[in-house]
Amino acid sequence: MEPTTINRRSFLTAGVGLAALALSPEALQAAAANQMAGDWRLGFADIEADIVRAPMRLLHGRPPPGLAGALYRNGSGKIRRPGRSATHWFDGDGLIRAFRIHDGAATLEARFVDTPKRRRDTAADAVITPGFGTSSAPGASIGSPDSANAANISVLPMGEELWALWEAGSPTVMDPQTLATREVKTLRPDLAGMPFLAHPRREPDGRVWNLGVNGDKAVVWRLSSKGALESADVIELPRASYVHDFTATARHLIIVLQPWVQQAMGQSYMDGLSWQPQLGTQVLVLDKADLSKRRLYDLPSFFCFHMGDAWEDGGGEIRFDACIAPDPSFPLQGARNVLLGEETHGSEASRLAMITLKPNGAADLVRTEMVAEFPRSDRRFAGQARRFTVHATGLTPGRPLFDAVAVHDWKRNIAQRFSFGPSQMIEEAVFTARPGSTEEFDGWLLAPTLNLAAGATELHVFDARAVEAGPICAWRGAVALPVGLHGVFVAA
Amino acid sequence: MSPPTIKTLAAMVSIATLFTFAAVPAHAQGSTAAQTASLTVTFMGLKSTQGALMIALFDTEAAYSGGQPVQAVKLAANAASLSVPFIALKPGRYAIKAFHDLNEDGKLNTNPFGGPSEPYAFSNGAKANMRPPAWSEAAFTVNLGPSVQTLVIE
Repeated sequence: MEPTTINRRSFLTAGVGLAALALSPEALQAAAANQMAGDWRLGFADIEADIVRAPMRLLHGRPPPGLAGALYRNGSGKIRRPGRSATHWFDGDGLIRAFRIHDGAATLEARFVDTPKRRRDTAADAVITPGFGTSSAPGASIGSPDSANAANISVLPMGEELWALWEAGSPTVMDPQTLATREVKTLRPDLAGMPFLAHPRREPDGRVWNLGVNGDKAVVWRLSSKGALESADVIELPRASYVHDFTATARHLIIVLQPWVQQAMGQSYMDGLSWQPQLGTQVLVLDKADLSKRRLYDLPSFFCFHMGDAWEDGGGEIRFDACIAPDPSFPLQGARNVLLGEETHGSEASRLAMITLKPNGAADLVRTEMVAEFPRSDRRFAGQARRFTVHATGLTPGRPLFDAVAVHDWKRNIAQRFSFGPSQMIEEAVFTARPGSTEEFDGWLLAPTLNLAAGATELHVFDARAVEAGPICAWRGAVALPVGLHGVFVAA
Repeated sequence: MSPPTIKTLAAMVSIATLFTFAAVPAHAQGSTAAQTASLTVTFMGLKSTQGALMIALFDTEAAYSGGQPVQAVKLAANAASLSVPFIALKPGRYAIKAFHDLNEDGKLNTNPFGGPSEPYAFSNGAKANMRPPAWSEAAFTVNLGPSVQTLVIE
């Protein structure tokens, strides 16, 4: 139901209460629409135990015959405990979700990563372990960064393993079939406990590049497609920015150094960061073949979590897209408020932008008006000239996160968009190729949502080139899982 | 989404420097048997049978905070749990630092960011929490006669 169809009268007769009378008509309409849509707080609810694999019900459409494999996703699954709760959305225990599609049928399961943090917090019946935005409490034991590792941001398929990734500690090795936790990954004995970001960049042949960042130093990881360590080099960064993601062309690593810099030791990691917009944003470009070859670009100040894959055009210009915001008010405030059931008011949504780094040392930032987060592309074209970016978009007033999926066409500079409306919260959509296809975005988008009205997690499949037409099929699970962060589809 | 990296790692460096004792057996204390105590220390949770377990026993806060141990022992790490006796001790307060020297270079190794890359433990169940545990957290009392202490190497 659209918000505009709810008038003040019907809202009041619905018996919502006198307190609501103090609100503006617009706020009343939004509140009413949200109430009709279902409570968005379901997107941040806790899961108390692992969810065993169960069939999803086909809601409509015909699953594409060539679509088979598993979509693995990660994100906070348990935030609250009786003695003390995490105070930031990014500090819940990592919950790995698996949507498996075979022979036109889908199943859903979820299992917590068995981390030392989760064990200690469970034993204490309180979140005592510090995190990104949650402070430490008495009884915490932090003997290495992995003591606080929540393994809760993303996943990386590596050979026969699935790695659950955090960003300030080691990968955690999971069994992709059972989602059982195997071990904390040490890539080389002398590198035990080194940070490994949650956004590795995978080349089309499978090789993985990643960073681990500690203040103004970073380790540059290079791994084979099967997860063997090829090199790990420590580099200096021009400033101690918060680095969540980076990007790469076929020849370069590109590190965006936003003016959110580590200045002090805080009660949580985020408390030690200082937003200094007067510094502007820097972009460091490294040559993959020789990390000592570097260029530094200057851009106006912006905050950014996520970037798209970069490419280099014939003239040597490097381009990449990013989802940028004027400041870090979402991580600072919004991602705390959502746990309290409050709106993310005060934090402006990030918007899609294109960044161009020129051979002459100049850099351009072109902002669009398109609300955008969780940008993904066709990984067969990673590091090469590409045209499409899929991202979450669509804001429902009075509610956090997104209700629509969009595909931006950078060649024609137009977007296709499909809105699920206020009853759904959309998660990151990922692309998977149609078997045998060679053209960019010839395949499907897998878009999980939380259907607030139905109280269930769903999986929607789009033709990646016809998003406006809506999902070609959709399944609904038997449970409602909280909204997660990042995922990867592993084709069968 | 990233925790206390700098803070933690800075603390880890200081933890590593706490392990710069020399692991030389030093069973010499001028006490007579009648006045002495003994201590059996059991180590659990060793995840590898490679290398050696390096154990240092301290009898004062000053020594614990950077001085020399009253006794130090090196054991082959050939089982998931190991025990070692300390004999002829004066009754009093003691604390233990131990680490699993996987590559047998005699040091608690650190990764390039300064974090410990080998497992370690403190006595009295004391845990590092952004810093090494203080003497007051790691210290325990040894009375006349036999005592026991268990450390979990993590």
